[in-house]
Amino acid sequence: MNKEEILQADEDGMFTITLSVNGELGQMIVSRNESLVEALRHYGWKGTKKGCDTGDCGSCTVLLNDKPVLGCMMPAVAANGGNITTIEGLGTVRNPHPIQEAFVEAGAVQCGYCIPGMILSTKALLDRNPEPTEAEIRKALDGNLCRCTGYVTQVQAVNIAARKMKALKKKQEKTAAKEAEKAARRVSRKAAKKNK
Amino acid sequence: MSEIIFKPCSLKEMWEEMPNLPESRKYMAGGTDVVTVENAGFPSAECWIDISDIPELAIVREEKDHVFIGAGVKLNDLETYPFIKKYCPALLAAVHDFASPSLRNMATLGGNAGNASPCADGVCALVSLEATIVLRKGNSERKMPLRDFFTGPKRTKLEKDELIYGFEIPKKENLLGQYFKLGPRAFFGISKVAVALSAALDGNKVKYASVAIASVAPVPLYAAKTSEYLTGKELTEDTILKAADMARGEVSPITDARSEADYRRDMSGILLERALRSLTD
Ligand SMILES: Cc1cc2nc3c(=O)[nH]c(=O)nc-3n(C[C@H](O)[C@H](O)[C@H](O)COP(=O)(O)OP(=O)(O)OC[C@H]3O[C@@H](n4cnc5c(N)ncnc54)[C@H](O)[C@@H]3O)c2cc1C
Ligand code: FES
Ligand code: FES
Repeated sequence: MNKEEILQADEDGMFTITLSVNGELGQMIVSRNESLVEALRHYGWKGTKKGCDTGDCGSCTVLLNDKPVLGCMMPAVAANGGNITTIEGLGTVRNPHPIQEAFVEAGAVQCGYCIPGMILSTKALLDRNPEPTEAEIRKALDGNLCRCTGYVTQVQAVNIAARKMKALKKKQEKTAAKEAEKAARRVSRKAAKKNK
Repeated sequence: MSEIIFKPCSLKEMWEEMPNLPESRKYMAGGTDVVTVENAGFPSAECWIDISDIPELAIVREEKDHVFIGAGVKLNDLETYPFIKKYCPALLAAVHDFASPSLRNMATLGGNAGNASPCADGVCALVSLEATIVLRKGNSERKMPLRDFFTGPKRTKLEKDELIYGFEIPKKENLLGQYFKLGPRAFFGISKVAVALSAALDGNKVKYASVAIASVAPVPLYAAKTSEYLTGKELTEDTILKAADMARGEVSPITDARSEADYRRDMSGILLERALRSLTD
């Protein structure tokens, strides 16, 4: 029996869990009724918001092993051993992710409370489906409530983000192809030298 | 109280460890109901057995005469199997309207059945598909029609430590399926009433029909009389209206925080009408 599969509360009823948040592996000390969103915020990842705490609004959405889940519906102890991505893991103010840029460009942010969850749901959608239709966008964001906008600019933002990510991917592929070409030329030059 | 979380990696390991766990223990799959119940202040078990890492429970498989869906399969993953589309259309329709995409990455059918709510959408669709529930405890296994598994609101025939292993759905050719749900938000959350219809047509004749209705009885209801009535009939306006009336007669709804009994009864019929009409759309 692998010991790590049993988590036992200490005298104060606290559990020590190990998880990766935005690529940083670390430990958190949590109680059993503490949700993942509470634990994340307690440990400084305050980009994740808590709205309803009943699974209805989506503002607590984070990615667990690249899939969106609701941080308020998941006990922190259940995330033990998991890989979490929060909005902080996507980009920074100086170096934003294309989806973050797109939300700014579209003017899709008013108070901003719903946006971290909205952007992470968008990320999961575009990873799976790089060219979604409007209906697919609306379905993917179905669980992310916004009380400020009318969702119109957010749908636009996802469309802009899809274009940006496609362009970025093309650029990356071009660079990779160029690099590969260069490497191939180096190899053939070396071979030619050897043959001389 | 010393709290323990046990997250086994296989069923074998789970059954081996079971005798060493505190007597007060509870399975947790996606946790979406467990957390809701706990947040409402109900006392929970000392030990949670987190079954979300057990590969055997995540199996989806096509067999000769049935489709098997493991209790721990995440609802969102069901869409990826072409044979689920073919043999379980009512289930996919129900999943489509089930909570939100993020919640569907957590929730499971095992949890939907384990929670034993009369409004469980996944269960209602599976009942219309005449699913069999497969239960396991150590090396022993038993099966029963899913519609017989529930004994009342929040009550099932599960014995202590017995695990929902999965569901077997009989394969029927040319099966059509619909799920019509009425709730406070377009798709989201708990229904006031929902109707699952699985059917096969031969031209305009109903070769086979099976109707289940959620949120209108102490358990997810299999509408036996309505299903029987429809089977073999021409799908005319008269048949549709008669079937709807029959469904209204089969339900026994109550008035609660979410809706009123009369409204639920009436809408059971209306949703069935819509589902039947959509078969020929
Ligand atoms: C915001 C929100 C929206 C929701 N919307 C819907 C909806 O639209 N339709 C709907 O039907 N439900 C809905 N639900 C309820 C819930 O998500 C579903 O019932 C879900 O299927 C439960 O699955 P789970 O894996 O999360 O179960 P858990 O919470 O892990 O478990 C539920 C119960 O089943 C038991 N259990 C779990 N797995 C097994 C097993 N393999 N064997 C034996 N017992 C087991 C547990 O001990 C527990 O008692 C919603 C819930 C929330 C919070
Ligand atoms: S805070 Fe989690 S869904 Fe609202
Ligand atoms: S921008 Fe305010 S809730 Fe969405």
